[in-house]
Amino acid sequence: MGGDGYLGEFEQMLLLAALHLGEEAYGAALGQELEARVGRRVSRGAIYVTLDRLEAKGLIRSAMSAPRAERGGRPRRIVSVTPEGVAQLQASREALVTLWDGLEVLEG
Amino acid sequence: MSAPPGGPRPPGIPEAVLRRSLPPGARWDAVLGDLHEEYLGRVARTGALRAGLWYWREALATAGRYRLDRGSDMEHRPTGLGKERGGGAGMDLVIQNVRYAVRRMGKAPFFTLVAVLSLALGIGANTAIFSLVNAVLLQDVPLERPEELVNIHSRSPDFRWGTVSFPDYRDLEERARDVFVGVSIMELGLVQVDRDDGSVDPVLAEGVSGNYFSLAGLDPALGRLLQAEDHVEPGAHPVVVLGHQYWSTQFEGDPEVVGRSMRLSGREYTVVGVAPEAYPGTLRGLEPALYLPIYMLDLAQGQEPSYERRGNQSGFIRARLHPGVGIPQMEAALERVARELQAEYPGEWAPDKVFAYIPTADVIMYPDIDRIMVPAAGMLMVVVGLVLLIACANLASFLLARAADRRKEIAVRLAMGARRGTLVGQLLTETVLLSTLGGAGGILLSVWALRVLQGADLPLPIPITLDLSLNGTVLTFSVLVSVAAGIFFGLAPAIQGTNPAVAPTLRDESAGGGRARGGALRSALVVAQVAVSVVLLVGAGLFVRSLQASQELDPGFGNEPVAMLQLVAPAPDYSGDEAVLYFRQLAERVAALPGIETVSLVDNPHLDQLNTQFTGVVVDGVPPPEGRDFHTVDWAVAEPGYLELVGIPLVAGRDFLPSDGPDAEPVVIVSQAFADRFFPGQDALGRTFTTRQRTVRVVGVARDAKVRSLTEDPRPFLYAPLAQFPTNLAWLLAGTRGPADPHVLSLVREARDLDPSVIVYNMKTMEEHLASRLLGRELGAQVIGAFALLAMLLASIGLYGVVSYSVARRTREVGIRLSLGAETGAVVWMLTRGGMRLVALGAGIGLAVSGLLAQFLSRFLFGVPALDPVTFVGVPLLLGAVALLAAWIPAMRAARVNPVGALRAE
Repeated sequence: MGGDGYLGEFEQMLLLAALHLGEEAYGAALGQELEARVGRRVSRGAIYVTLDRLEAKGLIRSAMSAPRAERGGRPRRIVSVTPEGVAQLQASREALVTLWDGLEVLEG
Repeated sequence: MSAPPGGPRPPGIPEAVLRRSLPPGARWDAVLGDLHEEYLGRVARTGALRAGLWYWREALATAGRYRLDRGSDMEHRPTGLGKERGGGAGMDLVIQNVRYAVRRMGKAPFFTLVAVLSLALGIGANTAIFSLVNAVLLQDVPLERPEELVNIHSRSPDFRWGTVSFPDYRDLEERARDVFVGVSIMELGLVQVDRDDGSVDPVLAEGVSGNYFSLAGLDPALGRLLQAEDHVEPGAHPVVVLGHQYWSTQFEGDPEVVGRSMRLSGREYTVVGVAPEAYPGTLRGLEPALYLPIYMLDLAQGQEPSYERRGNQSGFIRARLHPGVGIPQMEAALERVARELQAEYPGEWAPDKVFAYIPTADVIMYPDIDRIMVPAAGMLMVVVGLVLLIACANLASFLLARAADRRKEIAVRLAMGARRGTLVGQLLTETVLLSTLGGAGGILLSVWALRVLQGADLPLPIPITLDLSLNGTVLTFSVLVSVAAGIFFGLAPAIQGTNPAVAPTLRDESAGGGRARGGALRSALVVAQVAVSVVLLVGAGLFVRSLQASQELDPGFGNEPVAMLQLVAPAPDYSGDEAVLYFRQLAERVAALPGIETVSLVDNPHLDQLNTQFTGVVVDGVPPPEGRDFHTVDWAVAEPGYLELVGIPLVAGRDFLPSDGPDAEPVVIVSQAFADRFFPGQDALGRTFTTRQRTVRVVGVARDAKVRSLTEDPRPFLYAPLAQFPTNLAWLLAGTRGPADPHVLSLVREARDLDPSVIVYNMKTMEEHLASRLLGRELGAQVIGAFALLAMLLASIGLYGVVSYSVARRTREVGIRLSLGAETGAVVWMLTRGGMRLVALGAGIGLAVSGLLAQFLSRFLFGVPALDPVTFVGVPLLLGAVALLAAWIPAMRAARVNPVGALRAE
């Protein structure tokens, strides 16, 4: 899973959810956003491991918020998608759109 | 219990596991924070249980991912983790052992499942029951120097542990100062709390004397407790102390509650404090919502003050001895005071009435209840202990089989120079892992079971409050049990399996013959399992039969659907006659409701567990008992139509009539047993006798119905008309067309419509009223029955395991027999027979032991002999059938094998 190549499905979903959430993109919110929008259960462990990976690839950045009472006095890790991340998302989308070309009959 | 600000906390165990799995640093703190935050959201949306399960799953899965990650692709980790691995070689070895164990368990998923499930069931049952027993019996009450405290009761032929009247209490305190530092009194009451929204909430309250808390040495959780200044004269001290649980639930633990006011039965009371958390009230299991000065209790209940009535005996007395005062000295003082009271108040103090005492520390709830509860709890512990034993036997059997299977592998590894300690370590790891999984499953099961238990809508006359949460003690207990089981049952096979008598093993195994050495031990385990199952099944059988016998008892009333509502028309607003007027108006309104057929009133329905009421009766020519001036008889005050409504027919004479008013001649209806007792061989109709200072005439004789318990002999009973003996407290009974359930609430509505100040004490259907009488037996039969079936299931699993294992080892023999032309049926029987011999042996032992133990059960039984033939024949038949199935399935499977294949397999 080097840094090149296309993004995995879950990576794309996480990046897109982070873009939707903007300032509010942190673990719990991402999980709930994905579950709400995609309608399937998302393992929290998968989120954190993927976030670490995306950060290692330079596709997201994280910043720590102040500790909060409703989190047992712990901070939020707010992630933001880097320009590099946005570019990769676009590339992945284009690749898919190209592949879908001519297969419109299959679309619902 | 008291939640810190910020609300509930996620489960501690998975949180700790996750914290330990994450590297330090704010970035990973945020993971814990996320889960914490989401947990809180889920608690609000889906409840604590589902949120808790979600948290367990996500926290452990996340922990697992990080642990795996740490072991493998390190390059994705943005911060250095290298030093984290420095856990030392020991930790690595453990991890390696765990991985090995997981792999081995994965290879025998069925056996693993059975072992884990067996343990989970056994440990779950134990944890749940231990939590229950812990909540009931073992929780410490924070009394100061409890050895100086005694509970004092009145004792007479009617009551072994009777309660005490307020004047008697006062006299006792004044006259026994030489032995007691102080004496306190408590009376129970149901008090109506007026809510802000206009609804009312009846709650349990203790009315206590001013020294009640100080004498016990209790400190407030908040504010102050009740004191001497709250106890000067009736009606003058509208203050209240909240019970801790009530404060936490109804006031959400509001620290500002002191000084607020609350309305009780239409009057303002000032909250002065909160009782300590660990104090369960005077009677454990009946934690009051409120503590009031006893001088306020009657008022708060809407009753005429009755403190001066020596006949009103409802006080629970606690006294503290002067340091150094011995029991004989106290006994002498109690006897002296009782003698004085007998001389001064012969009406209330018959010569056979005395004071009785019991050390407070020896009482759990109430002496008469403890007498049943303690042995019942003990029995329950024994039962679940036996279930755990059977489960552990399954684990042991499983491990012995595994050890036998691996002897060859282990022998080879030993021969190649593996250290014995390493091998034992591996085998032990597997065992401990199994028992840990079993323990975790057990805890989940018991959490569920306790939830069911706490949520169970039992037809209890009063809401019982028990703290049934899993506490630290209980958790430790079950973890210890599961790990101990693992080590104990894992160590023997591990040591046996690694015994370095290498050569014979290798030879044996390659020859394909020879029984595994664990075989005899496993057989013994099956015999023991079956024996224990038989004992449990016999116990359960006896309880079920006893329940059946008592269900067949006819209470003598209440076969038709009736909705019941207990009301108090509060004094001083209502005089007795005004109360009767109100009750009658209400009865008229209720009678007009759709679906209601008949309506009547009574103050003391038969088989009411909370109320036993007597009246003194003087009958010419029938001398009262030794030393008494009168006979005591159970009685009730009723409106016309009551007997017909509950289905008690008149055998002679007439029912009450509207004309039996206050100014007419006082009349009564007597029960058949009353007539037989007081007018033997004569016609009771028209006879007169004296009760309540009035001469009453018998106008009717009613068929007997059960008065206090289903198992009693016919008991004399007296009915008097409400109009002639008015009361502020009555049950409104409404006979309904179709089920009574839906009508209960409309009765409440009508009662409140007519006068919102009227107190609703209780509401139920006749069905529920009667069910509560059988509750103890029903629960007993259900609980023991469930555990016995569980035991049988576990024993059958064990048997199945043993038979299939021995069958597997005899595959070659089976192949030879089949290829030589043996009938399949004969082979199946040959294979099954061995298992069934164990079952027969175990069942024989079990029956013999049951025969002895049944004698001890007999006091809990009703209507069945201890050696009930149905039970003692039925149990072996049932168990035999189940065991036959468990042994037959693997045998059948083996006999179906292709003989050639079986031979080749070796």
